[in-house]
Amino acid sequence: MLTKKIVPLQSFLSVVSRRAGHLAGRHYDVIVVGGGHAGTEAAAAAARVGAETLLVTQKIHTIGVLSCNPSLGGVGKGQLVKEVDALDGLCGRAGDWAGIYFSILNRRKGPAVWGPRAQLDRQRYREFIQSELLCTPRLTVLEGAVEELMVTDANPQEPGRHRVTGIRLANDSDPILASSVVLTTGTFLSGSLFMGRTTSPGGRIGDAPSSAGISNTLRDRLGLRMGRLKTGTPPRILKDSVDFSLAKFQPPDSIPSPFSFLNTHVRCKPEEQQSCYLTYTTPGVERVVRETLHLNCHVQQDTKGPRYCPSIESRVLRFPGRSHQVWLEPEGVNSDLLYPQGLTMTMPPEMQLRLIREIPPFHRAEIHTPGYGVHYDYVCPTQLSPALQVKSAQGLFLAGQINGTTGYEEAAAQGVWAGANAARSALSMPPVTLSRTESYIGVLIDDLVTRGVTEPYRMFTSRAEFRTSLRPDNADLRLTLKGFEEVGCVSSFRYQETVRVRDSLQEALTALQSLTMSPPAWRKKLPDIRMSEAKGNMLNGMEVLQYQDVSFEMLESVFPECLSPYKEFSQRLKIEVFLTFFHLSKRDIERIQREENMSLPQDIDYFSLPVSLSVEVRQILDRVRPSTLGAATRLPGVTPAAIVHLLNYVWHKGQKEKRAHKRQLHQKEDREEELSARNAS
Amino acid sequence: MLPSIRRGIWRAAAHTLNIRLTPPHRRLCTGDGGPAGLADAQTVFALSSGYGRCGVAVIRVSGPASMTALRSMAGLKHRLPPPRTALLRSITDPRTEEVLDRGLVLWFPGPHSFTGEDSAEFHVHGGPAVIAAVLQALGSVPGMRPAEAGEFTRRAFQAGKLGLTEVEGLGDLIHAETEAQRRQALRQMSGELGRLYQDWSRKLKRCLAHVEAFIDFSEDELIEDGVLNQVDTSVLNLQTEIERHLKDERRGERLRSGVQVVIAGATNAGKSSLLNTLCQRPAAIVSPIAGTTRDVVETALDVGGFPILLSDTAGLRDSPDLVEREGVRRARERVEQADLTLVVVDGSHLPPDDGEAAVFLQDHLSGVLPTQDQSHTDRCLLVLNKVDLLTEETKQKLEADLSRVPGLPPLCFISCHTNEGLQHFLTELHNRVKTLCGDPLSGAPTLTQARHRAHLQQCVAALAQYQRYRDADLALAAEGVRLALTGLGRITGRVGAEEILDIIFKDFCIGK
Repeated sequence: MLTKKIVPLQSFLSVVSRRAGHLAGRHYDVIVVGGGHAGTEAAAAAARVGAETLLVTQKIHTIGVLSCNPSLGGVGKGQLVKEVDALDGLCGRAGDWAGIYFSILNRRKGPAVWGPRAQLDRQRYREFIQSELLCTPRLTVLEGAVEELMVTDANPQEPGRHRVTGIRLANDSDPILASSVVLTTGTFLSGSLFMGRTTSPGGRIGDAPSSAGISNTLRDRLGLRMGRLKTGTPPRILKDSVDFSLAKFQPPDSIPSPFSFLNTHVRCKPEEQQSCYLTYTTPGVERVVRETLHLNCHVQQDTKGPRYCPSIESRVLRFPGRSHQVWLEPEGVNSDLLYPQGLTMTMPPEMQLRLIREIPPFHRAEIHTPGYGVHYDYVCPTQLSPALQVKSAQGLFLAGQINGTTGYEEAAAQGVWAGANAARSALSMPPVTLSRTESYIGVLIDDLVTRGVTEPYRMFTSRAEFRTSLRPDNADLRLTLKGFEEVGCVSSFRYQETVRVRDSLQEALTALQSLTMSPPAWRKKLPDIRMSEAKGNMLNGMEVLQYQDVSFEMLESVFPECLSPYKEFSQRLKIEVFLTFFHLSKRDIERIQREENMSLPQDIDYFSLPVSLSVEVRQILDRVRPSTLGAATRLPGVTPAAIVHLLNYVWHKGQKEKRAHKRQLHQKEDREEELSARNAS
Repeated sequence: MLPSIRRGIWRAAAHTLNIRLTPPHRRLCTGDGGPAGLADAQTVFALSSGYGRCGVAVIRVSGPASMTALRSMAGLKHRLPPPRTALLRSITDPRTEEVLDRGLVLWFPGPHSFTGEDSAEFHVHGGPAVIAAVLQALGSVPGMRPAEAGEFTRRAFQAGKLGLTEVEGLGDLIHAETEAQRRQALRQMSGELGRLYQDWSRKLKRCLAHVEAFIDFSEDELIEDGVLNQVDTSVLNLQTEIERHLKDERRGERLRSGVQVVIAGATNAGKSSLLNTLCQRPAAIVSPIAGTTRDVVETALDVGGFPILLSDTAGLRDSPDLVEREGVRRARERVEQADLTLVVVDGSHLPPDDGEAAVFLQDHLSGVLPTQDQSHTDRCLLVLNKVDLLTEETKQKLEADLSRVPGLPPLCFISCHTNEGLQHFLTELHNRVKTLCGDPLSGAPTLTQARHRAHLQQCVAALAQYQRYRDADLALAAEGVRLALTGLGRITGRVGAEEILDIIFKDFCIGK
């Protein structure tokens, strides 16, 4: 169902600007600062949960801009997109709308690690996100630069030392008030751009950095530990100047697979998909990098950059004498630009031209926009709760690159969760958390808040201990139901759809199980299948579907009357049946879940806790404030003995609460009895 | 996964993978208030009383399959045992129906048990052979595995069954335990075995890293398929190596089938008399005629709780008699296969001069043992028989002199005629057998062994999983390598940061 109509942008902008004048002094439930992947998801999620939400961004027309690569998904990242979609986020549907080249990576390595990925049309992606935000009830968008984050004393009823109350815009004396604020500043927080030897303040080329006021409040007023990271983007190349005959054509999947669980197909027709090409660097590239090193500030700096998406400079310096892959990716249906993935560089523009011309397909290429690097501030994420709230500041949530991650998908994932929790906090609902055993988002957030980052954090499938159950195909069953029932960020339409899917899958499996025959009978039905089973063993349809070369379609053609209603789920059923035989990590999942369930109160004063803990352990616990016992066990430096004392504490407290609860119940019953007795008399 | 299809899948899984599983729908947890989180937990068992020679040993079982274990091993197939009541039953091996021991069994339905789960206890006789046999039989019941250290305590804690004071005490204990554990690990790890395990573990980590890299990066970085071929080879090699190691490892089997003790020596030294003295019945014919024993006479014996298989052999001499020659050949064969050889010497034949006595014994030994190297002399006990024929002074002089001779195996002076020195000899024999049956360093020899074995077997199975899924589903194959590494990690003590809670309870008050 891709029936979405894009609302014309003109009307969108006018609606917004009309509202803007009346905002000062108004109180919102949630204010989201930033209109990137984290910000848009956060604002939309907060509004879905039911909060009156304001999204503030420097320029409305850059909402939903793909600042770097024109693609979405990949190995590990694709799982995040599916999960964001399962929580009713935007990026999956936007990807289906804007995608112009679809492929599932790792196709031959098993469904748990399939990486759905698409090249995007930048223009269409932005349009979709903007129009989607406009259609979101309870969401207002405002253009403006945030000058200051308003902070006051904490509410003594809750943990934390401060409380945020809203924001103040530049040139605007009256603050806009809010119960929760979500900061998604991306690379804009004290951002500076690097190209060659020149440095200029900015968060993206052509855009100013965010105000120093926010940085100062975070660092000085709230006393948060901050660090600095770097990233970069490659030059954009004029398509016409590229000789594609010297590169290798990389075909897309013949049938595009949509990201969103709501879509059965994508907007782009299979035959209209664009082309990608692959080429390699030459020794000439390495020579240019070495010759221009003295002109390259960004590379010489020792700020930490992403190890997994490195600049061409750091690649050839780290692995000299090798050739590196360069992907030539389309920027859009009507774009005359080309994105050379793998060629992020920060040398002076004239040297960039020299470098790319050392690569065969680019021997006559022209650069449209040179590549550049960016340095930005991030907040050490161990200061956050699993709800992505700053532990010391009530109502302040952070998402995206400000937490030390890299990538659109990682940002979007945090955005949904921070937005939903910001809304819940504003609406006086308890925070919600995701466990590492149920989602990649849970893995991402747990890694961030318990381990912190030393370099820009990117998702990999190997980070998830239970990846065989955290698959892209079952993200809806894992998250949509919870998203509706416990979080409130999922529409009832999507919920109903997921319930239908769940029930159909169950029915289909029951139907498969009911098809019981002896191996010879099966062999007669499916003559091409080698069946090694002994004669006496009856086999049901589910067991037969286990065979590698049996597909659901084959069974469906043999038993159409029984199985044809479930044809739309043929791939999911095959995966489900194949992988659920694999039960080995079940015990571990359960154990971890039990440990995760033992929560540590956020307001413990670890220094005065009357148990025997060393000063070092107290310091670590006080700094990180793990939210569960499971998280505490993952902290380096926390000794086993300390864990036992914490166990004791949690247990003791739990017992106390249980007793108190019982007492309350008794009292209530007594009161009721008393009342009824009085009424009777 | 979808809960309602679990039942069918379990059945199908067991069928396809050709393994026996306890399906969750057959859970026998009878209590309604049992710990909900443990729904599909496995059943664990362990020796709960101290190890070593003791009157009664308590073996504790906890988890959903406890009832199955109790029923199939205590002959209670057709009736439920009354809860918390001791029953005297014959305890049998469910595979062979062989009676292992007669002892008390107790049934504690959850949640009214120490762990809060269904539990059972077997109170059996305290000999290591009986204990090992019962533990093995338990291991053969579907859904059962040996408990990890501290697992009972852990389960009890999770079920909210542990008193506050007990938890309080844990902290101090664990502090002491982690220190002891560190020392133990150090001791184990500095050895040959430790180096071997760590080498495997290092290789596996490499394999895993390569597979993971191939999964996460091969689509946009240059990672050749050759990486996987290397992993294939390494995994196969490791699998073969660990399998061979599991086969070579004989200590557990010794305990099962008994330590092979062979009595050997010259004719008429009193070998058969020794056999008869030890088994306290005339098992072998004894006569003053040299060459009376011609074939191997075997008898099973219990020495301090350890099972031994004692063989009396023909006296070693060159004989023209065809039958006796065959007897001597068999005797030599037995000595070669023996775990322990008792070399019996006629004490009255010893030359009175001390220097000559040592040379005489050395010569004698070289005539009996296949080689003179340390490994054989280490597994040998010299028995000087017929000391009643020596004067007290000669005996004392010999004893004093020979104890100073280096390279000579331990010596016992006995007389099968008067039973003189027999007590000392038995003590010596007991000590040697104990050493052969288990690691004297760790307090629970077979237990450690069983756990090591279980983890190594798990490791091998996991590696087989890699092979099985290598082409069909690399993620599942990688899971196999991960699992194998975890299995090894549980032996070497190198487990991931996530498993601190496991480490806490590891090697800590097992089964208590």
